[in-house]
Amino acid sequence: MTSGSLLRLDGLTKRYPGTTALDGLSVDLPRGRIGLVGANGAGKTTTFRLLLGLAHPTEGHIEVCGIDVARDPIGVRSRLGYMPEHDCLPLDQTAADVVATFGELSGLPARAARQRASDILDLVGLDEARFRPIGEFSTGMRQRAKLAQAIVSDPELVLLDEPTSGLDPAGRDDMLALVSRLGSFGISVLMATHLLDDVQKVCDYVVMIDAGRLVVAGTTASLLERTGTVTVDVGPRGPELVAPLGAINLRAVATEGVVEVEISNDDELDLLTDCIARLELPLYRLSSRVTSLDEVFLHRTEELP
Amino acid sequence: MTSAASVAPVPDDDPAFAEHATVLVENVSVWFRQKVALSELSCSFGPGVTGLLGPNGAGKTTLMRAITGLIDVNQGAVQIEGKDPRRDRQVFRRLALVPEDEAVPGGLTAREFVRYIAELHGIADRHAPDDALQSVEMLDVGDRNVDEFSKGMRQRTKVAAALVCDPHVLVLDEPLNGADPIQRLHLISLFQRLGADGRTVIVSSHILNEVERLAPRVIVLINGRLAAAGGHHAIRDAMDDRPRHVLVRSDAGRRLAAGLIALDSVGGVTFDSARDGLVIETLRARELATALPRLARDESIRLFEVRALDDSLESLFRELVR
Amino acid sequence: MSPVQAGRAEAIAAEARGGAVYDRGYRPYDGPRGRRGAATFALYKASMRRALGIRRSWRQKVAPFALLGIVTIPAIVNVGIGYVTRDRFLSQRIQIISYREYVGVSAALLLFVALVSPDVLCPDRRQHVLPLMFARPITGFDYVVAKLGAIATILFAFSFLPQVVLFVGNMLVSDSALNYFTGHLWVLWKVPAAVALLAIYYTVIGIAISSLTDRRIVAGASIIGLFLVTSISSAIFVGDFEFRGGSAAGLINVLRLPLYLRDLIFLTHISPRSPLGGVNNGGLLAVVTYVVVLAVGVTVLLRRYRWVER
Repeated sequence: MTSGSLLRLDGLTKRYPGTTALDGLSVDLPRGRIGLVGANGAGKTTTFRLLLGLAHPTEGHIEVCGIDVARDPIGVRSRLGYMPEHDCLPLDQTAADVVATFGELSGLPARAARQRASDILDLVGLDEARFRPIGEFSTGMRQRAKLAQAIVSDPELVLLDEPTSGLDPAGRDDMLALVSRLGSFGISVLMATHLLDDVQKVCDYVVMIDAGRLVVAGTTASLLERTGTVTVDVGPRGPELVAPLGAINLRAVATEGVVEVEISNDDELDLLTDCIARLELPLYRLSSRVTSLDEVFLHRTEELP
Repeated sequence: MTSAASVAPVPDDDPAFAEHATVLVENVSVWFRQKVALSELSCSFGPGVTGLLGPNGAGKTTLMRAITGLIDVNQGAVQIEGKDPRRDRQVFRRLALVPEDEAVPGGLTAREFVRYIAELHGIADRHAPDDALQSVEMLDVGDRNVDEFSKGMRQRTKVAAALVCDPHVLVLDEPLNGADPIQRLHLISLFQRLGADGRTVIVSSHILNEVERLAPRVIVLINGRLAAAGGHHAIRDAMDDRPRHVLVRSDAGRRLAAGLIALDSVGGVTFDSARDGLVIETLRARELATALPRLARDESIRLFEVRALDDSLESLFRELVR
Repeated sequence: MSPVQAGRAEAIAAEARGGAVYDRGYRPYDGPRGRRGAATFALYKASMRRALGIRRSWRQKVAPFALLGIVTIPAIVNVGIGYVTRDRFLSQRIQIISYREYVGVSAALLLFVALVSPDVLCPDRRQHVLPLMFARPITGFDYVVAKLGAIATILFAFSFLPQVVLFVGNMLVSDSALNYFTGHLWVLWKVPAAVALLAIYYTVIGIAISSLTDRRIVAGASIIGLFLVTSISSAIFVGDFEFRGGSAAGLINVLRLPLYLRDLIFLTHISPRSPLGGVNNGGLLAVVTYVVVLAVGVTVLLRRYRWVER
């Protein structure tokens, strides 16, 4: 596997009569798990089509795994896997047959395709059901089968379109765990989703697009900043903390069931916990206020003109 | 907006029943051939936002259809403001359902669709469709064809159509599905406003952290039966036979662990290297919370973080479904 | 040693050898990876499997193979009669069907086309399987080629097999198989050529029509409908119930068109008894019309499966 960036977009613009779907997008994405979040739908679908070589950019230039999409779309596609959002598997064939066939369609010899299909179905948890027709599968099972056909050819990058769509919380957890593991298989992931929570759980890197323009691109860790405020939950008697803290020069505000205290160094942390112990209050929660991706997104989109 | 009249006498300590209930579900069972979708379900909904949760196939959609009179109940009774939705057409003047599936007739613009629904309900106010579109922020695309919309936009159009008849009871099946983060936040505050107005808003969703934000009260269905009801913290407290897990990060983990083990309220302590701290298992959360800062002070241990790992609606749900 | 003692000794020995756990995790694929050609060929094979119901339930296999059986019946009957009459003189031998006539249009064959062509195209469209092809090293063109190839191969095989039965049967019931063989060498190239022309023709029509809809029944009905309507209207235009000579309107009959090319192969001219008999340059017109039909069909297909937007 070559090192180097996974995906490079250079001034990528795509205009349709009437709308501009992408406007001057430039970003250099590393290997790993990348979340793609877009406001107003259009950008995500267009990006996938451009990556797969199904549409030509109006301006600009895309490189996937070092290959120029415009020059060698077939080469790019043989390194990609794709998991569409909607139902797309033939219902009257068994899971093993479908995944093996699509493995062959990716260029794998028949025997290797069958072997890998079996392995991959085991990996995604469908080993017991693999000789049953897909028509009999539940939503969660179908999503997993879709993922299986996307990775059967051992792609370098797999494109996931809303992988947790239609799944209940348990199913979502399972799917996100699978997606997380893809990284350890050496498969990079570009996951398009409108659920920032999923991105926060699974992705190392986030790209956010609003109205075709890049809003945010960075590692998840760097985006979730810690602020200097500490949130404390001591139950319903929270407001009792404010005055004693003020007496030791700690600014505190009681709000919505918790108390937010400004802490500038670790010694002040000790003072806070000692104060709580002294007042014999129960310490249910003590945490730095961490922003969520939702807040990051809102904040950044509001900044745009 | 006046709140609707109360229905039957309410057992006031049962969280399955709301105060001033507008929608009453009494011992309802629904089955389709061999499959039992709802099984002797009794609960009620009142003004404000109530979340309806459950795994796929648990009966949420069936309950919503029964409440809105789309299907008949095989046993028991549903009442909306004292009336039977299957027999009393009056109910529909003040009741609206936004289903999950894409049931919008093609070829109409957003405004035309909302206006059509308004006419069906006999709404005379000519401004009502535009007001409804405005409240879901779709007024500027009101003249575009619904067929061109993304999933999130179609959902919002359906919500506008539901709002146009000024309903007292609003039932929404996965309304946040497909909406991008900004739209979701706006929809959430819209629903909160509607609930604060005194309307009965029933929302089903799989995105639990948003239901947490949106609904102070939830009803959880599993396998067609009522699994839990009430505020989610209260539900968690009610599960006192299941241990809570608290994460503590400090500067002296092992010393802290030694001190904790001596406490009665502590059931077990695990070293969690991934989270860089201790995970304490307890059946007596309050006792542990009170003892913790004292122990830290006495042993001169600095606490960096204390956090309940299963306090969210998601972990509650996982516990319930297990 | 008793079995119990032997077992215990075995267990102790195994312990001494130690234990190991093997990683059943993900194995990356380092093997050969084909590109467009391999992928297209795989699609070709998969489509044939689909059409014949292979790897699916038994019900899916019934129709194609039943039709194959029906189409082979005349050959078997002919051979049977040849066998029964083998002891008679040459002049009294009865041949129900000649090779040329056997390369023909039977209802069974048409039903087969109308059944099988929609089956390989429409479900892909209806179940939205096409996007899964997008992340594969094939283009819309490759897709069309693979599908056409699959159906044409099956049609060819199903039309050719009865011919083989006929030929071999005739060889065996004749006085001398070897003489029969050497005396009928022309069969060995004329029949495959004619069958191929027919197979390609009906394939293109069947597949092109199937590409226009996502419902199999609609496609099947449209294929049959097209053949019916054109043969009826052609009959109306030719109009002549007492056959006094043909007219160019015979070309409208989409169904019979390849038969003119068949005649060109077997007889080197248009049969005087066909609707095109006696028309000036009839042969040339038939060939041109044939090519036009194929071109139209292929164009329709390439446009329906144009995945890359302009």
